[in-house]
Amino acid sequence: MDFVDFLVRRSDDMLELGLGHAGVVGLSVLLATVLGVSLGVASYQRERAREAVLAVTGAFLTIPSFALFILLLGPLGLGTAPVVVALTMYGLMPVVRNTITGLREVDPAVVESAQGMGLSRRQRLLRIELPLAWPVIITGVRVSTLVLLGIAAIGAIVNGPGYGELIFTGLARVGTPVAVDLVLAGTLGVIVLAVLFDLLFYAVRRLTTSEGIR
Amino acid sequence: MTSPSVDSTSSDRVMIHLDQLSKRFPGQHDNAVDELTMDVREGEIVVLVGPSGCGKTTTMKMINRIIEPTSGRIVLDGEDVTRTDPDQLRRRIGYVIQQVGLFPHLTVGDNIATVPTLLGWSRDRTRERVDELLSMVNMPPESFRDRYPKQLSGGQQQRIGVARALGGDPAVMLMDEPFGAIDPITRDRLQNEFLRLQSEVRKTIVFVTHDIDEAIKMGDRIAILQEGSRIAQYDTPEQILTHPANEFVASFIGRGASLKRLNLSRVADIELSPWPTVGVDASPEEALQALRATHHSAVLVLDESGRPRRWVGAEDVRHAGGRPLDQVGLPPEPVVEPEVTLSDALNELLTARYSVTIVVNRQGAFQGVVDIDQITDAVRTMRRTAVSRARAGLDENP
Ligand SMILES: Nc1ncnc2c1ncn2[C@@H]1O[C@H](COP(=O)(O)OP(=O)(O)OP(=O)(O)O)[C@@H](O)[C@H]1O
Ligand SMILES: [Mg+2]
Repeated sequence: MDFVDFLVRRSDDMLELGLGHAGVVGLSVLLATVLGVSLGVASYQRERAREAVLAVTGAFLTIPSFALFILLLGPLGLGTAPVVVALTMYGLMPVVRNTITGLREVDPAVVESAQGMGLSRRQRLLRIELPLAWPVIITGVRVSTLVLLGIAAIGAIVNGPGYGELIFTGLARVGTPVAVDLVLAGTLGVIVLAVLFDLLFYAVRRLTTSEGIR
Repeated sequence: MTSPSVDSTSSDRVMIHLDQLSKRFPGQHDNAVDELTMDVREGEIVVLVGPSGCGKTTTMKMINRIIEPTSGRIVLDGEDVTRTDPDQLRRRIGYVIQQVGLFPHLTVGDNIATVPTLLGWSRDRTRERVDELLSMVNMPPESFRDRYPKQLSGGQQQRIGVARALGGDPAVMLMDEPFGAIDPITRDRLQNEFLRLQSEVRKTIVFVTHDIDEAIKMGDRIAILQEGSRIAQYDTPEQILTHPANEFVASFIGRGASLKRLNLSRVADIELSPWPTVGVDASPEEALQALRATHHSAVLVLDESGRPRRWVGAEDVRHAGGRPLDQVGLPPEPVVEPEVTLSDALNELLTARYSVTIVVNRQGAFQGVVDIDQITDAVRTMRRTAVSRARAGLDENP
């Protein structure tokens, strides 16, 4: 019951932190999607390029988030900027991987008949291949989002926005009664955001996927 | 040159001219297509047929440059298109492949509208064209226009593939085993449908198959290809069947060549044999009289409109016991109309009680019969005609 009281008392904070958290994740996902889809499109047809892109974006994911935030602190300073850059790097891999998979799974006969009808390379990509790969790509974007929601909390270490602030404040007060409330509230906020983002993706996926491939 | 052809299905204008066309794939030792030179005339269906791997598909895909030739020229309707913009070229050439490749995320209507849209047709014109094509392939626009490909059967998808290829009203169509992945009965229906369609639209068509029977059925001319797309023989189905140019062609046609030839002519093309007939109201004496006057073991009983009613033999008449003639004997089977091929007629008569097939006209009136001798005669005549045609060619070009 104390925890509920705590939430009610801090509800304004919770909302504001939530908006900050969602904003920084949303922006990063957007950047990761644009970059990731572009990298996927540029590389999916050539094996070397494909492997290189997957290796590099995969390597990003192995950098400990703590370390990356602090490393970016030097060039980018405190605040939102280092968080967005780090999150975009972490978000690339699932998008790139699914873009490549999705594009490679398009039936070659479909691509060939598009070519045979005189669609240019660009028209084939935009009108045929990407729409067909879209359900797979958006699944990658969704995975990215979930990963980034968690990592974004660590961003508080460089004064990034979001629920991380509650968690780190709690950390600083370990041993006091309010510490657990703070950490729980931060965690709960992230979970609620994850559920909301998931609902959003469900809706977007339904609305942007042709009935013919559902 | 030979005298102008009187072939009704095509003009003499060359629509596609391949000039020493070659393709060597990277890392390969031999040319997949080796210096192929051939002409396809406007409005004809040319079938490329040959064993697997001989280069049929490669040849076809070089015409719309899905595969770029290593050397040689492609001339389309007098224009050298070997180096022109391939996308522009392809919008002028219909393309149908065995796997169909409909766009699964677009409706049937949008699939068919692909090329018209690329060509910048107005909405109204495109819409009209889509409906026209759907009707042409026997798929009512109202019920199919807004469906997705996954909501169609294999045969229907293949029809839409053909309709889509016809979208921009191209003069030329390329078809790679378009009916290859379909069950035999549907395939037969689609082939017939397509031939009927072609008699209306008169496209210049290059059709690839590895099935000689399909080639004979579909082709105005057939190019039998050997390894490297080398032409073993390029001629009409009749000529190829009756006069194979070499061992390779003969063995590719196979032992059934004479029988295959029967697919080329129809009952209407041959003279039917007479058969003794009597009216339904004839007396038993008249029937016996008619039987005595022939060497056949039965007469055919006809009704007032001349339609066959019964086969009646001498025994049947004797045991009739006062019953009218159309209630004794055997049903009048088999019956065919003049449009069927000799091959179909032969199939029928092989199992017939009196070893003949009854031929009736559209109204069902008796025309005559076909027996095995006539069919062998027909085969013999076809062979003779082909031989003399080949000789005539020889005499003109000493
Ligand atoms: N992309 C390619 N790369 C390398 N070799 C190829 C390629 N495409 C075809 N070939 C080779 O070229 C030759 C001709 O192939 P093609 O597909 O034209 O044969 P086909 O006559 O259509 O045979 P099928 O009846 O089996 O379809 C074959 O030996 C094949 O292995
Ligand atoms: Mg082939």
